[in-house]
Amino acid sequence: MRLYLELIRLSFQRTLTYRAATLAGLVTNLFFGLLRAAVMVALYNARPAGSSPDVAGISLQGAITFTGISQAVIAFLSLFSWFEVMNEIRSGDIGAELLRPFSFFGFWMARDAGRALSSLLLRGFTMVAAYALLFRITYPTGAVQWAALGIALALAWAVGFAWRFLVNLSAFWSTEARGIARFAFALALFLSGFVMPLRFFPAWFVALCNLTPFPAMVNTVIEVYLGVLQGPALAQALLVQAMWFVILAGLAHLAMRAGMRRLVIQGG
Amino acid sequence: MTPIIRVTNLRKYFRVSLRAKGLVGTVRGLFTGDYRLVRAVDGISFEVQPGELVGYLGPNGAGKSTTLKMLTGLLVPTSGELHVNGRVPWRERKAYVAHIGAVFGNRSTLWWDLPVVDSLELLQYIYRVPPAAFRRNLDEFRELLELDAFLDTPVRSLSLGQRMRADLCAALLHNPDLVFLDEPTIGLDVVAKERIRQFILHVNREHGTTVLLTTHDLSDVEKLCERVMIIDHGQLLYDGTLSGLRERFGGKRELVVDFAEDYADVSVDGVEVAGREGPRVVYRFGREDMSASQLISALSERFRIEDLSVREPDIEDTVRRIYEERLLE
Repeated sequence: MRLYLELIRLSFQRTLTYRAATLAGLVTNLFFGLLRAAVMVALYNARPAGSSPDVAGISLQGAITFTGISQAVIAFLSLFSWFEVMNEIRSGDIGAELLRPFSFFGFWMARDAGRALSSLLLRGFTMVAAYALLFRITYPTGAVQWAALGIALALAWAVGFAWRFLVNLSAFWSTEARGIARFAFALALFLSGFVMPLRFFPAWFVALCNLTPFPAMVNTVIEVYLGVLQGPALAQALLVQAMWFVILAGLAHLAMRAGMRRLVIQGG
Repeated sequence: MTPIIRVTNLRKYFRVSLRAKGLVGTVRGLFTGDYRLVRAVDGISFEVQPGELVGYLGPNGAGKSTTLKMLTGLLVPTSGELHVNGRVPWRERKAYVAHIGAVFGNRSTLWWDLPVVDSLELLQYIYRVPPAAFRRNLDEFRELLELDAFLDTPVRSLSLGQRMRADLCAALLHNPDLVFLDEPTIGLDVVAKERIRQFILHVNREHGTTVLLTTHDLSDVEKLCERVMIIDHGQLLYDGTLSGLRERFGGKRELVVDFAEDYADVSVDGVEVAGREGPRVVYRFGREDMSASQLISALSERFRIEDLSVREPDIEDTVRRIYEERLLE
């Protein structure tokens, strides 16, 4: 346990030192956030006069908040571009870690936890603060919702991590794994509710998404934040997240075992 | 004594996919599964006893590193048996690697962007080394490997020699039962090599650690190893003592004699006179021809001898001849 705490600490510190990257990332996230907020305003205003102010239970203010929150968690979740394990498999550097008596999955999860935590502090909170200055955004109300948000965030990261890890393991089988990963990450972009809250989509599409782990990576966090999930529905959403983490981590474990048989460490 | 390493008929084959050249070839490659089978390790068997220090030699591409990667649990064998330290490395990776150490000379096992000391401290938690034992080992190795000058430097900024010393320290902090060293002296200068050899000897003698090392530098083997194994084309060609290797394959020995006078005829039957410079004569003779003492007594019957010395054939030459002439097949 001490090892994993140390790994989290080291990785946290390391990410903190990348100041220029943090700043550049923030500016980019904010720029796209404003763009997406503008699209939301346009869409809401384009509806026929006299329609209800809400769409699928989300107000315009909620929709703008949605763009802010989803932009704020980009760095934290790192869902759309993460090739670290893949790079190690390809270069053979994975050998150094396999020589150590720890779980390879656990090692990377701890490192990613440190990275995610510092990203949440540096980029997540700053992003929400910037939105709070520019717009009238909504906030969770009450201790229960705040606690649920914390749990949903942690679980979203865990599900996302297990997914990224699994996708990265494809490098055991294919030298063109980067392409596979790009496709997998693009899939997550659309099906996770990152582009639009899933509530905005037709019911059949949402049902389809709910068969995948992707809504557990972003959409649940958004719905908990906006408060559209309450009571039993809230508890159920968190349980579904936990379930997806267990399933994906189990699959990653199996893939790791199978992949080790395929491992080739070149050179030397 | 039960051997600490037992390898029986071990094989590792790799498939290398064949790609024809050009666009047509690339497209065809998508549909056909043409590949070539590379027999990196092709049926080797050996045992190593606890406390041994064994040199594992072979030309590039002979299968040394592949063997080592199987022994360290990184690669799964194609067939054959492998028992090390009471376990099957690839099947019980986590439990197994807790009691071994490994250094791969061409890559670091330390964390690139961490200072050396942080990396070493992380190892304390990884191997769950009790703090007192960790301190004791670290102090001992720090002194032997002279690590103090660069303990706070990130691994990426170390020189090759420094990095190798740090890696060696990292491989041994948890008192492993055995340690695998893949070319631990590669690319180092004479002084650095010597320091590393001293350290390996120290660990083997004082801690009783079993060591298996690969190298291209035969002085490593001469200074460290009682026993050598030679592998080529995936097969074990020789397994025995270094002197046995010399005896079997060594070129001729040389006897340098300083005579008291400048004799006219110094020839001896069956022995070549390789050089002559005044009263100093160099005889060259094979082991099968006669022993050194026979030659000396033959000479001393006829001449007065001031001084003499025997030169053994260079081990480097011997091994080169084994590789080139494939003497062992």
